[in-house]
Amino acid sequence: MKLLTHNMLTSKCMKGVNIGYPLKIKAVDLKESEVDFNPDFISRIIPKLDWNVLVSAASSIGKNENLPEDLLPEYEKNTEFLKRVHHVLLEVDVVNGELICPESGRKFPINNGIPNMILNEDEV
Amino acid sequence: MSNIVQANPDFIVEIGSGSGVIITALAAVLKDARCFATDINPEACIATSNTSILNNVSVEVCNMTLLTCFKEYLFDVIVFNPPYVVTDTEEVFGNGIARAWAGGIDGCEVINQFLKLLPNLMSSKGICYLLLIKENKPLEIINMLYGMKFNVDIVKQRKVPCEHLYVLKIYK
Repeated sequence: MKLLTHNMLTSKCMKGVNIGYPLKIKAVDLKESEVDFNPDFISRIIPKLDWNVLVSAASSIGKNENLPEDLLPEYEKNTEFLKRVHHVLLEVDVVNGELICPESGRKFPINNGIPNMILNEDEV
Repeated sequence: MSNIVQANPDFIVEIGSGSGVIITALAAVLKDARCFATDINPEACIATSNTSILNNVSVEVCNMTLLTCFKEYLFDVIVFNPPYVVTDTEEVFGNGIARAWAGGIDGCEVINQFLKLLPNLMSSKGICYLLLIKENKPLEIINMLYGMKFNVDIVKQRKVPCEHLYVLKIYK
């Protein structure tokens, strides 16, 4: 599971959970791999992300890459910055660990990079 | 495929990806997009992940029901080959492999559940490709989608033994 995916996931569909976002990450195994860098793509998707959630998620697994708390102005022209965002979003994988609902504490296991977000009948 | 390329999507998702062949093919062609897949079956999730890895593409796989744990309005392309076979309702909610095909009454129980969520799943330029069979009463589904202010095109029809298949393109 990449941090891009983490940025998109919520547990709000659970009964009694209002926002369910962001999910906490407990990473047991991390893997880093090289992914082709496409600066246009990264520039396009930054506005679709929750930036603060990305920064804190990256910090929580020790892969912050000095991402600033506030998004840089004119980031689309800053290739070095876009490369760091690219790395954090797409090149770091949580292979084994857990996602944790911030409200209910429900744990969603991650095995082989695949989060198990299946809810029991009594949870929906 | 050329329609999807032209749409220049950022985020593509396949629901019920099974073996992973379809989302892997999309990921291989659409190099500038990120591809995601969900399946309720954990074995299918592993299969999808393996298929993507063997073909050297990246697909983010999540074990989940439809897209229930994703934030809203994210996906530019949604592809869904739903469980459309007419069956008893019990089979739709069972635990076995029947969930891969069992659609309940008119084969529409999962399809209807999905379509109710669809307005909140697609981005503003979102497109959904949905596979149906004649027993699902595609014209009724299309009328329902018109009522939800969607545009719908039937982009493909094919008759194979025992099934008359339709592919709907649904967009805002």
